[in-house]
Amino acid sequence: MSFLEAIMTNSLLFSALLAGLAASIVSGIIGSYVVVKRIVFISGSIAHSVLGGIGFCLWLERAKGITWASPLLGALAAAVLAALIIGWIHLNYRQREDSVIAAIWSIGMAAGVLFISQTPGFNVELTNFLIGNILWVSTSDLYILFGLDFIVLITVLCFHTRFLIICFDEEQAQLQGLPVNFLYILLLILTAISIVLLIEVVGVILVMTMLTVPAAIANLLTSRLSRMMWIAVGLSILFCLIGTGAAFHLDWPAGATIALIAGITYVTALVLFPHSQSILHKKNDIKKTACD
Amino acid sequence: MSAAVAVKNLSFYYQKMAILKETSFQIQPGEFIGIIGPNGGGKTTLLKLIMGFLRPSHGTIEIFGNPPGTGPQQLAYVPQTVRFDPQFPISVLEVVLSGRLAHLPWYGRYSQKDKQLAGQALQKVGISESFYQQAYGHLSGGQAQRVLIARALVSDPQILLLDEPTASVDSQAESDIYHLLNELKGTMTILMVTHNLKTAINYVQRVLCVQGNVVSLKPEEVCEHFGIGLYHTPLINLK
Repeated sequence: MSFLEAIMTNSLLFSALLAGLAASIVSGIIGSYVVVKRIVFISGSIAHSVLGGIGFCLWLERAKGITWASPLLGALAAAVLAALIIGWIHLNYRQREDSVIAAIWSIGMAAGVLFISQTPGFNVELTNFLIGNILWVSTSDLYILFGLDFIVLITVLCFHTRFLIICFDEEQAQLQGLPVNFLYILLLILTAISIVLLIEVVGVILVMTMLTVPAAIANLLTSRLSRMMWIAVGLSILFCLIGTGAAFHLDWPAGATIALIAGITYVTALVLFPHSQSILHKKNDIKKTACD
Repeated sequence: MSAAVAVKNLSFYYQKMAILKETSFQIQPGEFIGIIGPNGGGKTTLLKLIMGFLRPSHGTIEIFGNPPGTGPQQLAYVPQTVRFDPQFPISVLEVVLSGRLAHLPWYGRYSQKDKQLAGQALQKVGISESFYQQAYGHLSGGQAQRVLIARALVSDPQILLLDEPTASVDSQAESDIYHLLNELKGTMTILMVTHNLKTAINYVQRVLCVQGNVVSLKPEEVCEHFGIGLYHTPLINLK
C-alpha cells in the first residue's frame, strides 16, 4: 500500500498529518522569532522543563485517580510556568541568566523523573512525549492543537510589528513607549505553546530541531522576517510529510525520522552555502545595485 | 522656558562602583553638544540615564521639566551600527518605520502617513528608494548609520542623541553625517558622543567632558590633545 493510499484509508495517519500541519504553522512562525532573537537556549530550557508537568499530571491521573489531569495539560502548564520564570529572571537577573536557565532545565526534568518513578504501571504516554509519536494524536488533541494554533496566529497578526522591533532593537522599542517587558514575556509564552504543539509531533528530546531548523534554513534564503516565516512553515510541513512517509515505509519512529530529515537538510544547506546569508535576497540586492 | 535637559546632583553607581558622581549641568533647547571622555568614563551611562533606561542612584534628571520616560515622546537615539546582527532579517524601510512605533494602532499596521514620513526621512539622509526593501544588514557602515538617523528623525524628536555616529564609517560618510547634523543644528537639541573631537569641534557649540563627573567647555577651551584621544587634566587649553 502506498503512503497516499494509507492516508486515505487510515484515520490515524490522516490525524497524524493534520497534527504535523498544526505544529508546522507555529514552528515556522514562532521558530523564526526564536532564531532571530537568539533565545534557542531559553526555548531548550522550556522544552525540557515540560517533563515536570507531564510527570506530575501522569502521577495525578494514575496514582491519585484525577482523570482530568492529562499529560498535554500538564505539559502546557509547565511550559507556560517555565516561560514566566525564565522571563522574570531575564528581566531581573541578567548577570547569571544562563546558569539559572540551565537550573530550570534540570529541575523540570528531575521533577518529571521523580513523579514518573512514583507512578504505577508502564507509561506509554511518557515514551510518546519523550521521543514523539505523531500517530498517537487523538481527535481531542487535534482540537486543542488547532485551537492553540489559532491563538498563536491571532496574537502574531496583531503583534508582529512590535515583536520584530523587540527582536531587532529593544532600546528603540522602549524609547518609543512599547511595553518591552510584557512583549518579551508574551513572546516566551507563545514559544512555550509552540513547544507543546511540537512535542506532540517529535517529542521533548527532538523538539528543538523542529523549532529552530526550518527557521534557520529559511534565514539562509531571505532577509525579511515575514518571508522567513512563510518559508519556515513550508519547510516544516515538507519535513513532516516526508518524515511521516519515510517512517511509514521503513517502519521507523515518525518523530525521529522527521527530526533527522530536518537536521540533515540544515547541515546540507550549511555545507552548500557556508558563507551565505539570505541567498535570495543577496541576488536581489546585486540586481538592484546594478540597476542603480 | 525649561531646559531641554536639566541634571541636578546626579550620581550613578553600578553595584558599588561610582560611574557618575554629584554631576549637575543643563542643556538648552536647540544646542548642539559634543560629549567626550575616556572609555568607561560614563558617556553611554549618561545617555542611558537621559533616555530613562537607567535610574539615577541619587539626584534628578528632567527632560523639558519631566522625568525621563514620563512626558510625551521627545527623544530619539542613534546607536552605533556595529551592535546590530548583520544577519537579522529586516528591511531598510522596516527599520525606519520603527521610529513611528509610538503611533502604531493596536492591530499593528503602519499607516500611509507613517510610510510617507519614513520615505521623507530616508530622502533627507540621502537614501534612495531602491534601498527601501534592501536588507539592513547588507548596507555599508555609512548607509546603515544614515538609516538609523532617518529612524530617529521620523519620530520628530526634540532631542537627538547620537552614540559615536562616525565610529565605523569611511571619511566620505563621516563628512555626509556631519553635513546632515549641521543642517539639523538649531531645529532640535543634539547630543553626540564622539571620540573624533578634531572634526566634531567644528560643528558643536559646547563640549561636555564626562569622566566620573561632567565638565562643560566651549570648543575653543578644549585642549587639542582631546582631538587625538588623549584625555588628561587640566581639561582647559591654557594659553
